[in-house]
Amino acid sequence: MFAKLFISFAYFLDSNDRYKKIKSFIYDLLENPRSNIKTYFDFLIITLIFLSVAILIYDISHPTPFYFEFIENITVSVFIFEWLGRFWISADLGSMIIKYHEKMIELDQKPKFFKILKIILKQKLSYIFSPMSIIDLLAILPTYRAARVLRVFLIFRLFKIFRYTKSLNSFLRVLSDKKFEFNFLFLIGLFAIFLSSTIMYVVEGTGNNPHITSYLDAIYWSIITITTVGYGDITPVTLTGKVITVFLVGGGFLILVLATSIVTNALSEKIEILRENKLLTEAHKLSRLIVIFGFGRMGQVLADELKKNHKRFIVVDKDPASMAKARELGYLYMQADASNYDTIESLVFENDVEKVILLTQSDALNLSILLTIKAHDKNIEVIARSNSYANIKKFKIAKANHIVFPYETVAEVAVEYIGNPVKFDVIDNILIQDSDITLDGIDILEGSSFVGKCIDDLGLDDLNITTIAVLKNGNIRHFVFNPSHSEYEFEANDTLIVIGKEVYINRIGNEIRRQFA
Amino acid sequence: MKKAIIFGYTKTGKEIAKLLNDDEFELEIIDENPLQVANANAEGYFARHISLDDDKIFEDIGIGGDVEALFCTSDDDSLNLFVTLTARNIDKDLKILTQIKKMEDEKKMLLAGANRTISPHSVGAAKIFRIIKKPRVSKVLDIFTRIDNKISITELTVDEGSLYDGMYFSSVDLSQTYNLIFLGLLDKKNDDEFVFFSKAIRHKIKAGDLMVMLGSRKDIKKFKMELSKKI
Repeated sequence: MFAKLFISFAYFLDSNDRYKKIKSFIYDLLENPRSNIKTYFDFLIITLIFLSVAILIYDISHPTPFYFEFIENITVSVFIFEWLGRFWISADLGSMIIKYHEKMIELDQKPKFFKILKIILKQKLSYIFSPMSIIDLLAILPTYRAARVLRVFLIFRLFKIFRYTKSLNSFLRVLSDKKFEFNFLFLIGLFAIFLSSTIMYVVEGTGNNPHITSYLDAIYWSIITITTVGYGDITPVTLTGKVITVFLVGGGFLILVLATSIVTNALSEKIEILRENKLLTEAHKLSRLIVIFGFGRMGQVLADELKKNHKRFIVVDKDPASMAKARELGYLYMQADASNYDTIESLVFENDVEKVILLTQSDALNLSILLTIKAHDKNIEVIARSNSYANIKKFKIAKANHIVFPYETVAEVAVEYIGNPVKFDVIDNILIQDSDITLDGIDILEGSSFVGKCIDDLGLDDLNITTIAVLKNGNIRHFVFNPSHSEYEFEANDTLIVIGKEVYINRIGNEIRRQFA
Repeated sequence: MKKAIIFGYTKTGKEIAKLLNDDEFELEIIDENPLQVANANAEGYFARHISLDDDKIFEDIGIGGDVEALFCTSDDDSLNLFVTLTARNIDKDLKILTQIKKMEDEKKMLLAGANRTISPHSVGAAKIFRIIKKPRVSKVLDIFTRIDNKISITELTVDEGSLYDGMYFSSVDLSQTYNLIFLGLLDKKNDDEFVFFSKAIRHKIKAGDLMVMLGSRKDIKKFKMELSKKI
């Protein structure tokens, strides 16, 4: 009975567009790393954190003005809203329940209320007890008057900042990679403290040193000494104590040096990865990104052109030397192995990618990347470089949108140079020289006033547009080369292929489209 | 028949050979790698092995004689440089086109006497760039490549005293009479600049310029006869 209620509610939410809209908005606001509003919201939260901590500090020795209470209330409301929002979007319960229901239908069993409850509790409790959620809760908690003693916990709000600073997080991750070394050092330190404080207590705790009255004093002394802080409030008085101190200071120094070198080492090992992570996040935020696999000579020339034209792109190569070059040139880059699925996933599938360009030296690698991408999403446009003539066909089978075989293009340019008739493709190379002039198609849309007219009526000659051909019905098989300017009458859906100034061609195209506005 | 030589039966060399292999050019391939020579021979070209330390062999091939064009397409820039330099020494008027792998080598090659350098990397990159920048253009071009070689692009030299010498662009009309499309011309006096028909209607054709046009081979041949007629 309850189970039925839950399931029908889940189905109801699943089909409710408004619910989904609100949920995705909240997701954009709180979690979606690619959304713009998240940046503003993060900024708001960080400001509130600092404000409330500043108020806490001011509070201690000043009378609090009334509006502080007001700010505090707003802060807490925002925090509560944030926590509830995250709690809501932490798991998609609706679809889980539906999945469970479908499974039960398949098994021909009745859905059990208990089981559904288990799903809900498991998901939501795991969120509540996640470290980030606990920090968030601790930041909210001290506001309740009953828990006013917990005011000091306000400082936990500072921990909330962890959520918003990626670099801090990655720094901690780097350190956690060196867990073994740190554990080792920690144990040695612990041992040294235990040993020295015990000796100290035995030697000087018997009354000859007035500052050491308990074992805790000895431990305090030991820690202050080993960390080379050395306040000097407790000093050894016996010879044995002094000898122990000298060794402890020496050992403490060694431990400190070792710890420093471990941190530096870990950082220098990981700094590349940290930097790349940063670049990758930057790439996440960009829309219509172009991803270039392979940063060889061709990749470099292309990247240079793209940069000049303010296109947004990221280059990927596993060769450290080429990636160093990319860094020097200030490009977004990632040093990664493109044969790895994760690389493609984090670069292509998780970004708003406009085009993917495959320029690696190996056709096998190019093909493998191409197939990985096309298997995931057929609509991502891929331009592939083929390094051998025999492989062009394979790229075609793998559905590359464009295939560039540089050696053939070079040969065309070369042969054109000595004046031999070549394929039409060469026009392409002529077009490189002049960016004003373009080759383009004009669609004669059905129902436009141009249908039934001829080329002369379009006024193409006045605009110096050269007509090359007409594709009947836009179909390349029905192709009329050099149609008569005064006799050929346009039919609906013809495509006119012309060469001329880009602005003029666009003008004609717009004129046709305007008739439908 | 004109004679052309390809030095280096590499990927680029192979593609050039494919494009040149017709009745207009007599083709010879030279390579200092015997394996490549064997490859070229197996694929039906006339190829021979040369060693680079003897200049006499260049003259044997016909450089300084009836060879009109030399393509240096070895994968090794320094070999290309060497062959370019040697050939230029023998024949001042030879058309030499040299492939470069590194853009830094361009100046060196031009100094050594190449008429033009060409790099697969930059040409390939330029092509990809255009696909990105002007997707419609590439789509239209795709259509033409699929139509295949029936329609091709040709450059024809305008001789002195020819019918077209001194004619304005606006009075050139090839589309009605010859079924050809006049795209523009390569201005020989002006550093080989390409002047588009669509852009400079008041441009004057001068002797020595190269007219660039589009059309079927048959129509082009017809026009070629017309062009060579003197007034």
